[in-house]
Amino acid sequence: MRRHPKSLSRRTVLKSGVALTSMLAAPGLLRAEPAPVKVGLLQPISGAFALDGDLAKIGAEFAVKEINEAGGIKALGGAKLELIVGDSRSNAEAGAQATEELQSAGVAAVLGGFASGIALTATQTASRYDLPFVVDCAVADTITERGLKNTFRFNPNFSMATAVALKNLVKLNDDAGKPIKTVAIVHEDGLFGSGLAKIMQEKLPPLGFQIVETIAHPTPARDMTNVVLRLRALNPDLIVPSHYFNEFVLMARTLQQQRVRPKGIYAVFGGAASSYRFVNEFPEAAQGVMDCNHWGDPKSPITAKLRETVTAAGKFYAYNTPINYSLVKVFAQAVEKAGSADRAKIIEALAANEFDSGIMPYGKTKFDAKGQNASALPLNTQVQGKDIKVIYPAEYAEAKPVFPING
Amino acid sequence: MTRPRLATLAIIVVALGVIAFALSGALLNLMIFMMIIALAAQGWNILGGYAGLSSFGHAAFFGAGAYAMAVLQTRFGVNAWVALVIGIALGALVGAFIGFLSFRSGLKGSYFALITLAFAEVARIVANSTNFTGGAAGILLKLQNGLPYLQFADRRYFLLIALGFVAIGLVVSWWLEHSRFGAYLVALRENEQAAQALGVDVFAVKMKAIAISGALTAAAGCLYAQNYLFIDANVAFGSWISIEALFAAIVGGSGTVLGPLIGAIVLLGLGELTKGLSHGIPGMDLMVFGVILVLSVAFSPNGLVMLMKSLGLRAPAKEREA
Repeated sequence: MRRHPKSLSRRTVLKSGVALTSMLAAPGLLRAEPAPVKVGLLQPISGAFALDGDLAKIGAEFAVKEINEAGGIKALGGAKLELIVGDSRSNAEAGAQATEELQSAGVAAVLGGFASGIALTATQTASRYDLPFVVDCAVADTITERGLKNTFRFNPNFSMATAVALKNLVKLNDDAGKPIKTVAIVHEDGLFGSGLAKIMQEKLPPLGFQIVETIAHPTPARDMTNVVLRLRALNPDLIVPSHYFNEFVLMARTLQQQRVRPKGIYAVFGGAASSYRFVNEFPEAAQGVMDCNHWGDPKSPITAKLRETVTAAGKFYAYNTPINYSLVKVFAQAVEKAGSADRAKIIEALAANEFDSGIMPYGKTKFDAKGQNASALPLNTQVQGKDIKVIYPAEYAEAKPVFPING
Repeated sequence: MTRPRLATLAIIVVALGVIAFALSGALLNLMIFMMIIALAAQGWNILGGYAGLSSFGHAAFFGAGAYAMAVLQTRFGVNAWVALVIGIALGALVGAFIGFLSFRSGLKGSYFALITLAFAEVARIVANSTNFTGGAAGILLKLQNGLPYLQFADRRYFLLIALGFVAIGLVVSWWLEHSRFGAYLVALRENEQAAQALGVDVFAVKMKAIAISGALTAAAGCLYAQNYLFIDANVAFGSWISIEALFAAIVGGSGTVLGPLIGAIVLLGLGELTKGLSHGIPGMDLMVFGVILVLSVAFSPNGLVMLMKSLGLRAPAKEREA
């Protein structure tokens, strides 16, 4: 059985004695260092989404280091940030449990969440303690629609992202002289894929696109041949896929093998469409794939630094890193503005102020009455050569879209 | 006989209740989850442990309870307590339905396991794709504290309710060990033909067992939905819960009164304890957990309850020697 946390063993007493003596011995040091502000990061460090959690952690750690090296939180006399990572194990109950643990660790706020199911239960757990929670890239609209005062979301939600995606799709098509008439939707049958397919089915026809087929498949899927053969028979101008990493890669490769060449592949929150791992491993299959997704400002020098850090660790860069870097930055500003690590004051500060958005292309972050960052928006990217380039909107664009890709 | 007495069970439940009142935060949350899994495992144990009909699809019952709870409250505005009762009844009904189809055609052993797995998977896919169940987006229950909503600002009350259900599970198992019906179950587990030859109505006994089993596991589903306030198809009907339920029961000791409860507490407690070992290497804790699990199953193949009993029997012998 677990030992009662409050019970004292002889060793603990000895240890605290030693600690106490050293504190008495160095009173000057103690006064110079104000109590650190603990901030929780809830990410899937193990389980199915472990890669994402790992990348997020790198971003958050980078920001904490940067802030501490620049003198910590000025409003609190230079208090350092202390990052405490909670592992959500890629599932909802463990997410709630990890949030409880972060609460016990005495964090001033929790950042992250990553997946919608985890973010839903974790924010709810945090709300019991009025613990501020800033959600990252969990996109379900419902997260900020439950009237939880503690819950904010930094990234765009599903509706915001799809609205941008559709707008840019129309622009892309118009600019190229309207080559796209027919669209096929391929989606995974979970929350994310089905939700997206439903919106696309509603919104695409009024914009002048004809949907020739909507194909659903489960996750995980081991073979995409049937889906791709069906696509070959339909020969749509554009494929709109929405799946997770593995299925996306599988489909792109099968399309290549079967020589299905649509005029474009346009993903929204595409599983692999803006992943360097995909580009690196399957450069041919990835060529020209477009995505509308969370993405850091490509022109910021910090983006380059983060990329270097991730690559130096032998990992492939993805959006989790810049998002969580920026989340920590927003949190630090909120503490500065609150002038306190008090939870209620941080919630107040988050709700009332505007914040610099770190390296996310959101201009000034402003949380609306429900806690959603009203300035958040996704960027459109395209795989060009060995790189992923931002193609829309103009102020962040690094390259012109290559479209249509196959004549 | 080494069956626990009713008084022993009462002491265990009261002790857990006292512990419950000393807990807060992460430990409280963990214990609530332990009780939910214990209850699901108790349900599995009735069918898999006593009757020897191992199911791989108790998620079907768990999900039925969870969805009943969520759908009734959010769509029809039914009171949480009423929804709880209906959810449990639905679990029994789903059990009877699956039982009727599979026992009528005499399925047992691995065939029965597969058919239950198939039912759970079908339920998962249906729940994932129909609007009535919220589709893939799942259902979010409203956070509102108060006795009528079966949600409490002080979650120790919720833990006590969960513990109450576990106590019911214990009593049901205890009753099985002391009743004619329980004896029938064990008889058909040991030798179905012999039981039939002796006049046991095998079909009726199995039907009753799967209905009770379904009801208990559905109660766990109801409590899950009410505690986490969010379910989707993969949570409610996902194979994880089928595995947790059979795992807890088997590790604790299948076909014993206390097995599922002990299994759930040990498994989840171990999972939490090993969490601290993950420093630096993600998933390290799960590997350690796996190794401990393999060792515990290797050294107590009949479950922890049996291990405890054999240790308990040996201890006084040593004393006598001394």
